[in-house]
Amino acid sequence: MATTTASITLASSDLVDGMAMNYYKTATLNKAGTSTGLEKIQTGTREYLATGAVELLDESVVTTSGANKVYIKNLSTDATEYFEVAIQAEVLGRLYAGDWMFIPWSAGGSNNITVNPSVATSMKIEYVVVHE
Amino acid sequence: MATTTAAFTLSSSDISSSPLSKSTTATLTKAGTTIGLQQTSGMSRRILKATETSIADLISTTPEFTYTADKANKVYVCNSSADSTDYVTITIHAEEIGRLYTGDWMFMPWSASDSNSDIRITAPSTHTNAVTLDYMVIGEGNAA
Repeated sequence: MATTTASITLASSDLVDGMAMNYYKTATLNKAGTSTGLEKIQTGTREYLATGAVELLDESVVTTSGANKVYIKNLSTDATEYFEVAIQAEVLGRLYAGDWMFIPWSAGGSNNITVNPSVATSMKIEYVVVHE
Repeated sequence: MATTTAAFTLSSSDISSSPLSKSTTATLTKAGTTIGLQQTSGMSRRILKATETSIADLISTTPEFTYTADKANKVYVCNSSADSTDYVTITIHAEEIGRLYTGDWMFMPWSASDSNSDIRITAPSTHTNAVTLDYMVIGEGNAA
């Protein structure tokens, strides 16, 4: 059984005056409803040379309604460049240069993850899927 | 200008033949700029009673549209429940994103473009314990 952990720290000394923020959370990535660790992983980097929504992850590669997790990062260094990230037809949001996201992924009902680069000048993305 | 960072680490010594170690830190800035995000909901907590199994809004864009649409807004949600079998299904409008099991957390950009961007939660009809969710929005305010 594999042991995989995902941690986040959200920190700011001045987002709210006089109230420094430092939230830390770590999760051990287990199969749905169990204490058995997720055992499968996919990683990759992609480069996009055109705008328009394209599929990054197909739902068929993971177990539907599992405790799958997806990490995506926009590798751009130009602050104006972003990927619009969507599941099926629903836009989650814009991932700007250097931004990352980490979400659970049910991957049911054709819930593919798509990305739409804001420019056609070699935008890159990296991803990791840890899944059942 | 506020400076807020979101650091991420993903690690495993045994999920593949090579150890997995991924770390990154993002400074949370307004869309297309190097100016820090300035608006936050603060950390909030929502407790779903065992009898609450209908879909419900966790983070809504209405009625004030507090966060500017299609910018660099971020959302954090964590299932802080104690029972390992408890989960909540996270959806954006009607589209299911995934299930957050006990101890799981998520962090993602949020378009907040209209009521179709509402982030909604559903506990399964089988759950017998209260489900505790901690959540926060960090984003761009309409007046900022």
